[in-house]
Amino acid sequence: MAALAAEAGGGAAAKKRFLVISGPNLNLLGSRKTSIYGRGSLDDIHEGLRARSAKLGVEVECEQHNSEGRIIDSLQGAPGRFDGVIINAGALAHYSYALRSAIGAMLLPCLEVFISNVHAREEFRHQSVIAAVCVGVIGGFGKTSYLLALDALANLTKD
Amino acid sequence: MARRFLVIHGPNLNMLGKREVGIYGGKSIERINDEVAAEAATLEVEIEFFQSNSEGELVGAVQGCRQRTDGIVLNAGAYTHYSIALRDAIAAAEVPTVEVHISNIYKRESFRHTSVIAPVCIGQICGLGSLGYVLALRALLEERLDPWLP
Repeated sequence: MAALAAEAGGGAAAKKRFLVISGPNLNLLGSRKTSIYGRGSLDDIHEGLRARSAKLGVEVECEQHNSEGRIIDSLQGAPGRFDGVIINAGALAHYSYALRSAIGAMLLPCLEVFISNVHAREEFRHQSVIAAVCVGVIGGFGKTSYLLALDALANLTKD
Repeated sequence: MARRFLVIHGPNLNMLGKREVGIYGGKSIERINDEVAAEAATLEVEIEFFQSNSEGELVGAVQGCRQRTDGIVLNAGAYTHYSIALRDAIAAAEVPTVEVHISNIYKRESFRHTSVIAPVCIGQICGLGSLGYVLALRALLEERLDPWLP
């Protein structure tokens, strides 16, 4: 396989690349409401994702934005650069129709993740307006939610 | 001693691969169980499987896990959306339970958007087909090591 790719002048097959976006207030992880969100930081999650991506033979790029518009910009820029997206939209998950439209328009597999079990919390968190345009949802497992989403995307986009 | 897990499939999941394959995929329940069993072997844990169409039998299976099983992977099928009895059984069993759905329930009819069991489960995985069960097992194993959970 590798020899064939080399003969074709392409070298080794290109690694799949995934974009991981965390939304508003997730930069505060580890410093606020640790009983709900845990004590680890977002940097810990990103490190965990990089370690997992090395094992899976894929690449990840991790971003965090408090601004809804910046997240939309990122999603719009993802096609052609990435093979899939993992998004923890934070509170935007529950009301951002603009985010929903951006995900729908992207035509890339997108997985929604949550750190906490949103269904065990306030009622307004039980609804996600982006879930329907995502392939699936993984929530409630802390940092592991992100790691499992990476496993899933690597599996879904396997050639 | 190896840790033990139970995979529970609810109503109509015995029909997997035969009904509405556009929604649920073409894999049979046996094939899904084989995939999960292979993952369990890799992870060096014990795994058992149970399927019933009867709500009462599912309640019994969940109750039977108390102090005997280290975790439950549960696809409660349509009972997800209205079985308070199943919810009470999960809460009473005090066994970490992961809710799994083959399809993305949020893309479907609005009555499927509510899960009455979700608040007593540790988390939910949906839309990923048979892979969801495998990831649920990984979640149960990683959960203890995860400093993120309170």
